[in-house]
Amino acid sequence: MRQPSKENNLFVSTGRSSKGEPWIWLTAGGLSLGIVMVIALLGLILIKGVSSFWPRQIVVMQIDGENGSNKMAGYITERSERPSEGGNRIAQIQIFRGNKDIYGESFLYLDERNIKSQEISPGYMLVERTEYGPAILKPVKLVTPSGTIEEGTQGFDDAVQRMIAINEEVREQTRHIERKLIGANARAIRDIEIDLKVGKVEAEAAAAMREVLQEEFVKFQADAAKVRERIAGYEFHGLTADGREVSYMGSQLLGSFRPNDSNWFQRFWEMLQRMWRFLIEEPREANTEGGVYPAIFGTVVMTLTMTFFVTPLGVIAAIYLREYAKQGQMVRVVRICVNNLAGVPSIVFGVFGLAFFVYFVGNSIDQVFYGDKLPTPTFGTPGILWASLTLALLTLPVVIVATEEALSAVPRGVREAALACGASKWQAIQRIVIPASLPGIMTGIILAMARGAGEVAPLMLVGAVKLAPSLPIDDIAPYIHPERKFMHLGFHIYDLGFQSPDAEAAKPIVFATALLLILLVLVLNLTAIIIRNRLKKKFAVSHF
Amino acid sequence: MPGPDAKKPDPKRFEVSRNTLLFDRFMGWFIRFGGIAVIIAVIGIFFFIAKVAVPLFRSANVEQSGSVEAGVVPPVIGVDERGEMPFLYEGGSKLTFLNFVDQSTKELTVPGLKDAVITAYAFDTVRQRLTYGLEDGRVGSFLINYERKFNEDATGSWLEPAVIEEPVFTVEHGEGPVTAVSYGDASDPDDPSGARLIVVKRGEGQKASVSVIKLMMKKGLIGTAKLRMVGQTDLSSKLSGEAAMVRASSNGTMILVVSKNGDIDYFARDVLEVNKVQTFHPFEGEVPQQVDLLYGGVSIILTSRDGQQQQWSLFRESAESVRTFGMVKEFPPLPKGAVVFSNSLRNRSFIAGAGNYLSLRYSTSGDVRWEQQVDYKPVAGIIDGKSKHLIVAGDDGVIHRYQVNDPHPEASPKAFFGKVWYEGGMGAKYQWQSTGGSSDFEPKFSLMPLIFGSLKGTFYALLFSIPVALLAAVFSAAFLPLSVKRVIKPMMEIMASLPSVVLGFLAAFWLAPVLQYRVPSVMLMILMVPLSVLMIGYCWGRLPVVLRNRLDGGQEWMLVLPVMFLFGWLGWILGPVVEGWFFVYTDSSSGKQIADFTMWWPQATGMAFEQRNSLVVGFMMGFAVIPVIFTIAEDALSNVPKSLTAASAALGANRWQVVWTIMLPVASSGIFSALMIGFGRAVGETMILVMAAGGTPVMEGNIFNGMRTLAANIAIELPEAAVGSTHYRTLFLSAVVLFILTSVMNTLAEVLRQRLRERNKIV
Repeated sequence: MRQPSKENNLFVSTGRSSKGEPWIWLTAGGLSLGIVMVIALLGLILIKGVSSFWPRQIVVMQIDGENGSNKMAGYITERSERPSEGGNRIAQIQIFRGNKDIYGESFLYLDERNIKSQEISPGYMLVERTEYGPAILKPVKLVTPSGTIEEGTQGFDDAVQRMIAINEEVREQTRHIERKLIGANARAIRDIEIDLKVGKVEAEAAAAMREVLQEEFVKFQADAAKVRERIAGYEFHGLTADGREVSYMGSQLLGSFRPNDSNWFQRFWEMLQRMWRFLIEEPREANTEGGVYPAIFGTVVMTLTMTFFVTPLGVIAAIYLREYAKQGQMVRVVRICVNNLAGVPSIVFGVFGLAFFVYFVGNSIDQVFYGDKLPTPTFGTPGILWASLTLALLTLPVVIVATEEALSAVPRGVREAALACGASKWQAIQRIVIPASLPGIMTGIILAMARGAGEVAPLMLVGAVKLAPSLPIDDIAPYIHPERKFMHLGFHIYDLGFQSPDAEAAKPIVFATALLLILLVLVLNLTAIIIRNRLKKKFAVSHF
Repeated sequence: MPGPDAKKPDPKRFEVSRNTLLFDRFMGWFIRFGGIAVIIAVIGIFFFIAKVAVPLFRSANVEQSGSVEAGVVPPVIGVDERGEMPFLYEGGSKLTFLNFVDQSTKELTVPGLKDAVITAYAFDTVRQRLTYGLEDGRVGSFLINYERKFNEDATGSWLEPAVIEEPVFTVEHGEGPVTAVSYGDASDPDDPSGARLIVVKRGEGQKASVSVIKLMMKKGLIGTAKLRMVGQTDLSSKLSGEAAMVRASSNGTMILVVSKNGDIDYFARDVLEVNKVQTFHPFEGEVPQQVDLLYGGVSIILTSRDGQQQQWSLFRESAESVRTFGMVKEFPPLPKGAVVFSNSLRNRSFIAGAGNYLSLRYSTSGDVRWEQQVDYKPVAGIIDGKSKHLIVAGDDGVIHRYQVNDPHPEASPKAFFGKVWYEGGMGAKYQWQSTGGSSDFEPKFSLMPLIFGSLKGTFYALLFSIPVALLAAVFSAAFLPLSVKRVIKPMMEIMASLPSVVLGFLAAFWLAPVLQYRVPSVMLMILMVPLSVLMIGYCWGRLPVVLRNRLDGGQEWMLVLPVMFLFGWLGWILGPVVEGWFFVYTDSSSGKQIADFTMWWPQATGMAFEQRNSLVVGFMMGFAVIPVIFTIAEDALSNVPKSLTAASAALGANRWQVVWTIMLPVASSGIFSALMIGFGRAVGETMILVMAAGGTPVMEGNIFNGMRTLAANIAIELPEAAVGSTHYRTLFLSAVVLFILTSVMNTLAEVLRQRLRERNKIV
């Protein structure tokens, strides 16, 4: 046999040529990087979000710094390093030492080399308060109306828990009085003022009514004061790590936990409780403490309202385009336009929503129906209705495209069979085509919901606010308040991260909120994907 | 067989019930109507936004709205805030007030001027103050005050003018009658003690002298505060020629003396000192005929005898020097003749007229907002306090009133897209600064820094995303087993739906601080990870075929993972080492050497290093852009007809050759459309840029500083913009720009994709 010549060599190595193999591996690297990015990001948010609830152990540290020796207790929130002279890196930790009322700043960076000793010493307590965030201290004694209980004696912790439970009840009752009863009272007084201005009531009658309401108001205030008396006799004394004595009124305390004296299960239980409180409580202290319930509520209501608008509009437009319009150049152009809109930046929709819904439609509504309240705008200001409509426009292309796709996937034979059986065109669509394409339409709607729930930029213009005093749906007539501003999870993240007075203190809440928002969007997306996969299987069978 | 009792078939059994037909027709129309309405509404979005922005491009609308026969040709004309009652002054003790509302006239006499011989006078529109100089060398002033009075039942109102006389002072220096005066006043209602000054010129020709009288509200030994003279300064020796004209800015901080030879001496007042700063000579070979100050007090408008008009502004030549005058822009020339000038007290517009020509001009953009040939010669003119009326006195003895409607004088194509020399700036430039601290702030509405910011953000995002997305798409389409693909594609879609506010938050609060001191590590990782992957691929290719055959195709992505992690980690920990070798900052004062990239970069390149920079933004935007590009490119590559790839493989192409020579060329237009849609997504991204890009509207390609993009700018500023203001409409204009930018890209992408689909069909 003749040895293959050099040129022939080219043809020898076909099967598993090594040529170009590095490039293939490079493409594999690209894909891996993409996957790693998604997993890392989701993992980061999951870890950071969950760990913001985890009760960390309190470390007591002896610090020798430039300003002398100091003892301090707190938990470590972050480890990092910074460069210094000569190329060295100095390890530093960030600790949360609480007691903002005493130290001014609750977060602190420490060089690790300055820490002389650290130990997890028992007895320290993390106390949640109504103001200044949590306190970290060693309890000393609890003064109750029925006597003083010293720390270390039997039943100290139970007594503290009892006091907190009482305070919880008191807060609940006073909130009811202040929000519901006094709130209704104030509204009644305001309505009288408006009636008086418009001329519906005589001045004397109005004065008499005001008198009655005023009396009622005084009575409510007395009620609230009476309720508060229940917690008045309690006082909690403690000692900070650097030896300062502090005391709090019973009404200031919201919760207590001893992370250093608890086992893993107790801490886990505490974490679950914190998560639950995060979901159902209202925010406190400029949103940096407490929960995000109003934001969850606002997001859900806004998303559902948006779905309510976008579904019929999108489906009708798609049915028109696919079933009624003459398929030609014109429809092609319209389709390109609709696709185009899906790519238009969301902020542009926000701009439109502000100019059209808020200033144009809203002001017109105010002039026609709420003239007596002007110049205070009712609908002529950003609100949840306008936000929902804006997002409905934003997500309309998603629904139209998905519905069209679903409609076109219904086999022609099915349609013709229906018509051949004597069904009218609408009957065929209503009874055959729409049910067959329902999963596809659903997918589109759910994707639209996911997009709408995660979108923030347009909301900055048309209605999301930092703190809404009341929810858009409540038990005050007329129960649904589409003109109200609302809180939104996404906007909450932006606001806490960038407008909050203490961004560092807000970080755990932001991570938790981000986790919540991502979970919401993920669940919606996964639902859509699952429905779509089912759908593919179904059509795969019916395709013949 | 049908029985005899079988019912006869209903003859209507093939007919459809009327209700069904009616309903069908109704639904048909309903859906047609609804569908078309939705589509029109959706497309109408663009037109609605554009409609808000359109008024920006309208020029001023000026219409004559009345005239009054005055019978005189007054050299000075003044007016109240609403342009209802102008007054005329011809020197002497008499002021004539004309009422445009009821056409009546009213005369007021200034008591102190009864027997005086007035030889010079000047009117300051800001304070409504007339300053006069007398034959015997004394100077004085009086204020014109309009008070609005109401009927008892508040149904009507009228203006009641009054004259408030101020003290008279004697000029010590020079001799002869006063030939020119000008008043500057830095006091305000909150702080009446502010310094004031009167610039006085005495005599003519060789003997002319210029001096400054400095005044202050001061408490005497007894009684209330009174305006007292605190000194006089003779400027004559410091002049560069025979003085012709004097002018003080209305806030009294600067004094300009124009010489006969055309030189202008600029003096600055600093508390009680008056110092000469600069002498400049505008108009080559021509002499200034008129010098006027613009609103804001840092710009002057000079008009030469042959009608050239220029704006000179105070600015610093370099960061250390004092502010001196320099020419900023030139306006279209005026006809020859006496010049009529008056500036607005709201913005940078002014009236300029000469001959039979009258115009309204805007100094920031250098635009002529309105111009007209009138059938009289304007002699004096004024803009009212609200900038709603022009009052012009003609040589025919008639006072003409014009209604001005120019809500957006700041706006013009040049202001948005061209370089503009703003007051105080060192040159013409693109600048965005929509709001400022004081009322005489000059808004700067150039969209160019924002467009540049958007493109910069997009560039850095795409720089990272395109390689990753395309590589991933190629691997996924060409090599990945179907079972894995079924998991990975939805994962990428989930990546696309991550809320950008979360990405922005992570970028700003997690990634930016982490990367701040790790730039060398990042650079190493960018270098090492792809190289290591290529190397592993090369080594793999060297392995015997027997070994390589053990691995099914499409598993490479898993094998690559540990290598990437290893080298990524190596890069991370080696970063500080490299920093110590190359990026050493030397402290200029102490000579200390610090290995710190964040300090080395500004020293080495002169550009800023910010924590929230384009690197961070580019990486985080990757999460938004990669999945978009990946999904579309992957679709395009997957849809390459199997017959083509199979044929080339059968002809002996190896698997990379199939990709490189068949799949990529065939899917090229699809890949291109993916890139354009990725571009659209990146340009419109808002929250990441609001949160992590720093937000300074600079035009610098520097990767280590931030930017302000069109979208982020809208999100930040629109909630605060007053409805209908220029700022508000300009933000709408930037939304239009954004809309057009993305629409063009998306349409192009869509057309390309459709073409690709058709081509694949044919194949």
